[in-house]
Amino acid sequence: MMDVTLFIQAMLVGILCYLGAIETPWAFGITGGFYILGRPLVAGFLIGLIFGDIQAGVLCGLAVQAVFIANLSTGGATNSEITYAGYGGIGLAMATTKDPAIAVTLAVLIGQTFGLIFYNTRMALYSFWNTRAQKAAENLDTRGIALNHLYYPAISTFFFRAVPVWLAIFYGKGAVNWMLNNVPQVITDIISVLGGVLPALGIALLMSIIVKEKIQLIFFFAGFVLLAFAKLSMISLVFLAALVAYIVYLSIGKPQAATTANTNVSDDFVEDDDLF
Amino acid sequence: MKNGVISMKEKETKRISENGKEGLTKKELRQIWLRWGFTHLASMSYEKLQSHAWAYSFIPFAEKYYKNDPEAKRRLLTRHSLFYNTEPQTGALINGIVTSMEEEIALGKKVPESMPVNIKTSLMGPLAGLGDSIIQGIIVPTLLSIAMGLANGGNPLGPIFYIISFGIIGPLVSYLCFKYGYRLGVNAVDIVTGENAKRITDSFNVLGIMIVGGLAASYITLATPIKIPMGDEVKPLQDVLDGIFPKVLPLSMVLLSWWLISAKQMTATKVILILTAICTLGVIIGIF
Repeated sequence: MMDVTLFIQAMLVGILCYLGAIETPWAFGITGGFYILGRPLVAGFLIGLIFGDIQAGVLCGLAVQAVFIANLSTGGATNSEITYAGYGGIGLAMATTKDPAIAVTLAVLIGQTFGLIFYNTRMALYSFWNTRAQKAAENLDTRGIALNHLYYPAISTFFFRAVPVWLAIFYGKGAVNWMLNNVPQVITDIISVLGGVLPALGIALLMSIIVKEKIQLIFFFAGFVLLAFAKLSMISLVFLAALVAYIVYLSIGKPQAATTANTNVSDDFVEDDDLF
Repeated sequence: MKNGVISMKEKETKRISENGKEGLTKKELRQIWLRWGFTHLASMSYEKLQSHAWAYSFIPFAEKYYKNDPEAKRRLLTRHSLFYNTEPQTGALINGIVTSMEEEIALGKKVPESMPVNIKTSLMGPLAGLGDSIIQGIIVPTLLSIAMGLANGGNPLGPIFYIISFGIIGPLVSYLCFKYGYRLGVNAVDIVTGENAKRITDSFNVLGIMIVGGLAASYITLATPIKIPMGDEVKPLQDVLDGIFPKVLPLSMVLLSWWLISAKQMTATKVILILTAICTLGVIIGIF
């Protein structure tokens, strides 16, 4: 009987892993999927509900989320597979020890290995659906576009996302216990140190997008120092950073505004505030 | 930009017109937005990413305007199956602009059919940069760090706060971007690529860079267990480091990764391998 419960729990976690994946459309694209259901903090909460222990679930989610805070996906390239990591790692931990440290170790392991392998395989294979959708467009087959852009990929994604996580949690209990007993301490130490360091990569990827000149690193250090030295909270940093950004906005100065009338300046202001 | 606003208002009143065809209704516009909003990455691959979401979102449009003109319909569907990738939520601005342009083409106005394609390829890059730094660099990490504070001790309030807050902000950003893009049409291009937009983008970048600095100080844990002799007693090296420069080890890891990515052009996977090697070595010789 116990196994039936675990079977259903594992299945539900697998389905959530599918719904929270970056390529799943059903939760309003990446808005409700990747960015909400896909976040480990949310995953921990939902897995906690499934396993009937919300507190333990949230604690596992919290620990895993810290590692994946700067998870990044640009141009399809990702630094770690956050959805497999979150649902696989937290799900397996909740099915076994409910220990947040185990959840982190498993999440890092799954995210960096199986997760990235499954993700990259799927990304390569889906050119198949793309080619068919392209042909459908050329042949005016609108039904074919819908099938090959939405329905067939959605179905095959289910097999890439839900099924492996479902099976991993259902059959993984023994493997996790074996790992806890047999893997040498030094390996688990390395994984836990790596888990602490990995956010550096996500942060570096973010920097590579937004730092355009080396001199702008001064803003990075300012933000760093306000938290590391002055011990401010993230929210207070947001307001200070907004202030600095506004000062920068004023200081860049209005191009070609020197010769034209001053009245235009305030008009442009209002319009652009609307835009963003 | 003043002219832009005026012609925008004129255009709205003239949308029902010329070759006897009617403009898009509110319902049809919403349908295009929803089709994009749900399926932007549905058939994502390295080769095409968001390409086919465009063709899919224009299917009802094609049925409405090109039912009896298979050649025009084919041109519409194929020009919206080309490579495309941007930040899908802020990128809805481009969907709005292009929808208004396709509508003008369908209504028989003098807009070349190459225009929507040019707009897409020239705007997807800038909006991806802006959108990624706003969504992935500012909004998501900030909301998550608030939520993580609330979740301390296993409190479900944290995740619930995040679900509700991003659940409102995400769709709202996407909707407003689409709406403004459609309303401004081709004028939006001037606004997005213009000088003042660059000022705003640069300022947002500064905001993003500062927050990323804060993230670097908050979410990387790396400490050394080494103890060093200080006179008579033995003191943990980490305490000494914290006294001089708190979080210096996490900072060095971020700067190393950033240098590898930006100066050495390494891929994320390579950097992961290097970080793994450093951690492995560090644990084995006992410095981490």
